[in-house]
Amino acid sequence: MGSLKEDLKRQIIEQLNLEEVSVEDIADDALLFNDEGLGLDSIDALELIVLLEKYHGIQLTNPEEGKEAFRSIDTMAEYIRKRKAD
Amino acid sequence: MNKPEFYISAASTISHLPTFKNVGFSSVIGPLEANSVLITPDYKGYIEAGLLRRMSKILRMSVACANDCLEQAGVEQPDAIVVGTGLGCLQDTEKFLNTSQTIEGLLPPTAFIQSTHNTMAGQVSLTIGNHGYNMTHTQNTLSFEHAMLDAMMLLQEGDSHILVGAADEYIEILTEIMAQLAPGQDGPMTSGSSFFVLSKERNEQALAVVKDVATIGLVEDVQQNVGDFMADNALTIEDLDLILYAGKDNFPGNAVDYLALSGIYSTASAFALHYAVDVFQTDKKISNVLICNSLRKSNLGLMLVRAVEA
Amino acid sequence: MGVRVTGIGIVSAIGLTVGENLRALREGKSGIGPVRYLEGAKASLAGEVKMSNSELADELGLAAGPVSRTSLLGLKAAREAWGDNKRSGVIRTGIISATSVGGMDRSEVFYQDYLNKTNPDYDLLKTHDSGSTTERIAAELGISGYINTLSTACSSGANAIMLGARLILQGKLDRVLVGGSDALARFTIDGFRSLMIYDDQWCRPFDESRSGLNLGEGAAFLLLENTKSFALTGNRTLCEVSGWANAADAYHQTASSPEGKGATMAIENAIEKSGLNINDISYVNAHGTGTKNNDLSESVALKNVFGNRIPPFSSTKAFTGHTLAAAGAIEAVFSVLSIQNNLIYPNLNYKTAIEETGLVPVTRLESGNVVNAVLSNSFGFGGNNSSLVFTRHE
Repeated sequence: MGSLKEDLKRQIIEQLNLEEVSVEDIADDALLFNDEGLGLDSIDALELIVLLEKYHGIQLTNPEEGKEAFRSIDTMAEYIRKRKAD
Repeated sequence: MNKPEFYISAASTISHLPTFKNVGFSSVIGPLEANSVLITPDYKGYIEAGLLRRMSKILRMSVACANDCLEQAGVEQPDAIVVGTGLGCLQDTEKFLNTSQTIEGLLPPTAFIQSTHNTMAGQVSLTIGNHGYNMTHTQNTLSFEHAMLDAMMLLQEGDSHILVGAADEYIEILTEIMAQLAPGQDGPMTSGSSFFVLSKERNEQALAVVKDVATIGLVEDVQQNVGDFMADNALTIEDLDLILYAGKDNFPGNAVDYLALSGIYSTASAFALHYAVDVFQTDKKISNVLICNSLRKSNLGLMLVRAVEA
Repeated sequence: MGVRVTGIGIVSAIGLTVGENLRALREGKSGIGPVRYLEGAKASLAGEVKMSNSELADELGLAAGPVSRTSLLGLKAAREAWGDNKRSGVIRTGIISATSVGGMDRSEVFYQDYLNKTNPDYDLLKTHDSGSTTERIAAELGISGYINTLSTACSSGANAIMLGARLILQGKLDRVLVGGSDALARFTIDGFRSLMIYDDQWCRPFDESRSGLNLGEGAAFLLLENTKSFALTGNRTLCEVSGWANAADAYHQTASSPEGKGATMAIENAIEKSGLNINDISYVNAHGTGTKNNDLSESVALKNVFGNRIPPFSSTKAFTGHTLAAAGAIEAVFSVLSIQNNLIYPNLNYKTAIEETGLVPVTRLESGNVVNAVLSNSFGFGGNNSSLVFTRHE
């Protein structure tokens, strides 16, 4: 499942227009919303919800639910796997 | 009646000519050539990367000019931020219109968030952490003059330094639209942003004196209104050393069509104001300048500025 | 020193005139319902003005030609506020309107045809720019000279009133028509949906279960006059606008700060400007959109300013929907009516207090107490926060 994480990184960079960031810069366990990680904010969270639907066909209607799922690339990949298995 | 005068203590412009961080540009620039493009600085030097990645052209221009101005003036926090824009954030407006009409599922929100006219003033306040009065005027070709009037009132009410500016951006669809709505319009449509620090008291940075600003919406007699405005300031047209105009030229003496330099956008009169400020730095013979904005025939904007006496 | 309010006009989801709005407020009747007039709207509920564009144009007697719904609504409310006032050679008269998206209701029709290449009507774009509604109203009422439009998202209408009052106090104008107008548009509905704050159920301001706003549309105008103008027109003074303030939250592009910094500053400074004491405020017409974020932040700000002695407060957004740039003006008219009729309006759809703050809004119409001073809040996107204070004219 390594490629799901790679895909996610590419998709995040594109969706959030992270011009200065490359796939290698994002560690799987880096906290996306922490300044030590990518320093994303609540607008990015909404963009990530769009990303989930656009690329993975997953609908997340409650932004609160995203908080846990969007902690890191690891948690996002896990969330996608779980939702797809349901 | 003795009118209060105010001081411009910093000016910054991004346009299709080398105006940014280039004191003396007024003496070296010539009319815009066909297919000119916006000349932009490396924005990373002026805007935090986290904010920059989302910003459209108009936001980048505005925040960079605003920050440059504050630095020039040595003002950390202005008392207010006042912006004029004719058409606002067109790039993000069109982007969101497009997604909302073409995408069936969830819509990315960023373009919507940044489509509102107050995004420039809001982003400047956010960048510098400013909690003061924050306002956006949008009266097509008079948007900047209205912002100036508001800033001057704030100084009258006791504020010391106001960051006042203007911005409008060109997007491609404008060419098609104008070809349909205003065929035969001359001059290229462009983007531009100019910001100023307007101060109540004269200080070492003072670059020019703003004597008066007026807006006349649904104007009937331009000549009459210009005459009244000058008389109100105890001057005549003959006292002017330079007239910067947009629209028809029927002025005597030294008159320059600033649209030939700025290109056409709703708030190009802000470019003209910076041009006047720059002329004062390079040509000591010029003292009184009138900026006469008839970009749209039904609207008249007038700004009277003069050099700071030595 | 306050500025006299001598005329009011309004059109909203709850009525086409001042009288109709007042009746609906008294009866606790919301104007929010299924979308009937706006084609292709992706919203189940909205606060529409109950007239089609052609009905509005007919009533206003407008000649054919492109006109946005924003302009139609604006013209209707402006005419009512202006009443039978006359153009004057000696009274310097201006107009300030506010809008968030101008003629977007027409532009989006154009753009759809443009994308589909189905013969787009470029003339529809003539009403796109925000200033066009203001110019149209000015032309009709015979106002020239100071014609201006403000656009600061959801606080625009309040800012137009503030700027008008300042122009009068500084002696730049003798009389000024101030207000705002915004038509419902697919653009804004989709926008708030994209932010995931559009509620498909009734909006529930200040309720623990709130989960977003319902958009609305409308327009409202107030006529402000100085002593010179007032002496010449002989208009009756309805009340005064006596305090105003604008402050930036500088926290986030869309969200308000959890500690309500900008809102607190706006409220405090507006009350200070009015010369009143916080205990003098009889009623707070809150911004209260029904979003998680706004209502919490605004509750915190109310506590910051008033401590444990928060005046009776309510949001009227559950009557009208959130009318964006018109909201500040519509709620200003409600504030004037509150003082004129000693009324405090109910906060519809409220059941349970917000857990963090525990504030309880007024839920039934109150008409037993004298209302001398009303605080009206308007907070917007981009951290634009404005508050106004209206007081009884002595």
